[in-house]
Amino acid sequence: MSDKKKVLLAMSGGVDSSVAAALLLEQGYDVIGVTMQVWDYSQNECSIEEGNGTCCSSIDVDDARSVADHLDIPFYVINCEDEFKAKVIDPFVDSYLKAETPIPCVNCNTYLKFDHLVHKMRELGCDYIATGHYAQIKKSTVSGKSSIVTSSDDWKDQTYFLFTLDPDLIDKILFPVGTWTKPELRAYAEKIGLPVAAKKDSTGICFVGKNDYSNFVADARPDAVKSLKGDMKKYPEGDIIGEHQGRHKFTYGQRKGLGVSWSEPLYVIQIDEQDNTVWLGEEKHLYSQKLQVKDVNLLDDIVDGETLRVKIRFQHRGSEATVVKTGEHYSLQFQEPQRAVTPGQAAVFYREDQLVGGGWII
Amino acid sequence: MNVYLDHNATTPVLPEVAKYINSIVSDWGNPSSVHAHGRRPKKILRQARAQMAQFFKVHPLELIFTSGGSESNNSAIMSVYHDQVLQQKNNLAEFITSNIEHPSVAKTFDYIESLGSKVHRISVDQNGHFDMNAFKQSLNENTVLVSVMTANNETGAMLPIKEIVALAKNQGALVHTDAVQTLGKMPLNLKELDVDFASFSAHKVYSLKGCGLLYIKTGTPFKSLIFGGGQERSRRAGTENTLAIASFAKAIELLDLEKLNDVETLRNYMEDRILTEISGSKALSQTAPRLPNTSNIVFDDIDGESLLMNLDLKGLSVSTGAACSSGSSEPSPVLMAMGLSRTQAQGSLRISLGFGNSKEQIDYFCECLQQIILRLRSLREERVSHV
Repeated sequence: MSDKKKVLLAMSGGVDSSVAAALLLEQGYDVIGVTMQVWDYSQNECSIEEGNGTCCSSIDVDDARSVADHLDIPFYVINCEDEFKAKVIDPFVDSYLKAETPIPCVNCNTYLKFDHLVHKMRELGCDYIATGHYAQIKKSTVSGKSSIVTSSDDWKDQTYFLFTLDPDLIDKILFPVGTWTKPELRAYAEKIGLPVAAKKDSTGICFVGKNDYSNFVADARPDAVKSLKGDMKKYPEGDIIGEHQGRHKFTYGQRKGLGVSWSEPLYVIQIDEQDNTVWLGEEKHLYSQKLQVKDVNLLDDIVDGETLRVKIRFQHRGSEATVVKTGEHYSLQFQEPQRAVTPGQAAVFYREDQLVGGGWII
Repeated sequence: MNVYLDHNATTPVLPEVAKYINSIVSDWGNPSSVHAHGRRPKKILRQARAQMAQFFKVHPLELIFTSGGSESNNSAIMSVYHDQVLQQKNNLAEFITSNIEHPSVAKTFDYIESLGSKVHRISVDQNGHFDMNAFKQSLNENTVLVSVMTANNETGAMLPIKEIVALAKNQGALVHTDAVQTLGKMPLNLKELDVDFASFSAHKVYSLKGCGLLYIKTGTPFKSLIFGGGQERSRRAGTENTLAIASFAKAIELLDLEKLNDVETLRNYMEDRILTEISGSKALSQTAPRLPNTSNIVFDDIDGESLLMNLDLKGLSVSTGAACSSGSSEPSPVLMAMGLSRTQAQGSLRISLGFGNSKEQIDYFCECLQQIILRLRSLREERVSHV
């Protein structure tokens, strides 16, 4: 039996996790590749188009397999359809029905990659679990404690999606591509001849496909969306300036496709769950300096009232805010006003480049 | 140690068969060609058919070569549908099958049903018991075809095919049997069985993939599934797969059914060891007449997916349910039809032995299996207690 450390690597068939496999082998690990089959592809129309490449289309399973073959590592597809539906898709749809704008990728990490797969890792006698996330793990020279820190590629950094992780798990995780930038990674994939080197980046939400979100929600709960029709009101006066066919079609800060003509540009300022009102206002109404988060998970201790850098959506650069615990929730007070604070998105806390936790915006 | 215990999925090509294939690779001509290049392959084809006919004790022209078991099954069933429903406009035509058939039979009947014909599915339980009463009740003067497998691929349970045939014939129905899993594992006499159609596959008996056989009793109406040339006396269009056909005949020639006793002894030894050494395990259809090589064991509190991966990482090749094209593991619909719960079906392991297995291999397998199951169960307990 080999005395090499064994790693279970989640392979999506994309460039990142494929290079991760090659890097782990170079670092001397025994690597077992696994792809989670999360969606019944027979529901989608048959397509062989490239760039169908979101993280869970069936072409991607084939790509992951071909990379595993290329690197000569064991590879398995594990069926997670039920788990994915219960933990990712259903909550995604429910969230839209509750007038939020969800991010399903966090739940996929919480329940699939860093729970279901962690259990598989133990079952297969592996020492570590690895993913192709753009994130790094650093050990403090003082405390000896490991933390998740942002990736070397600022643009690709994915720590935003990792705030729900169990801090005790960090020592079991490897993020092999976290010290790379995407262009470096792609060049390397090409250099070592990986079959997916030229593959397009995945964008959007994997199970939604080409369909738009509101259609996906409507297909999933045709009855529920029927009762989401309502008025469009001018913020803050409350004059009715139009009506809409379902509030699940709107998100905070949205400007296009509102179907209302007005003297100045209008934006979605607020969506009311109870009476389905979609409030439209001017850009200045989009800004707020305070928000509340629930279900906070901390990966490191924070001091009550500490000023942390907080990202309120994936593409947000982060902004300084004081974080105060108020009962079950946390209140955040930003130094600068923030644009389009959106319920259902995550507020994720950083101390310099260290991920310290986060919660869901309410 | 690498141990292959998945012979119901496919079998290794015998060295003698491989050698024979090599010796005829140079006969690449089209058997339908009139010129010299066509004559050698034509002869190979003729000899292969004659050999198969001799083995099955039938006439060579009662056999057509197909691309495999699935095509043979589709052809037989669709042929009867075509003749009865489309040709003779028999809108009352009814079909009977079992609920544990291979997908190539089950889905063909789903299709026929979707076209408007009545299809009865007789249940077979996990003890291998075929519901003969339900069968008798379903059988009537409108029954045109009964199609049941000779032996089940997942449990090895043999169906009472003789009794089924006798009852069906009495009603004037045609009988098809999917004998893909039985060939090479039990003596088979088609004349004695008195079926009208029987399907076989080459790669389950130590020869190449891409070749199947369909027995069609003389006088049975038959309509080709594939439109095209006049090969196989216009019963199966398409240039013949000479090499695979020849390999099939060669493997049948080399088949030594006496050796099945050793396979059975080894299977029983393995099954006894597993059932005694591993608590919470039970063998399916153990008391039923069974193929001598197959064992299907359900383990309590075990996820078959993780078990399979662990065994694979130890070099042990087995299967949970039927091998699935996507490579992902859904609980076997056949085991569920037999009355197993989803969890039980997911915790089941199909072990199918072949002529190449040794006692040493089986011992290694049993030891690894026990270790892995103990470990998986303790991790499961840990996880449950955490939640």
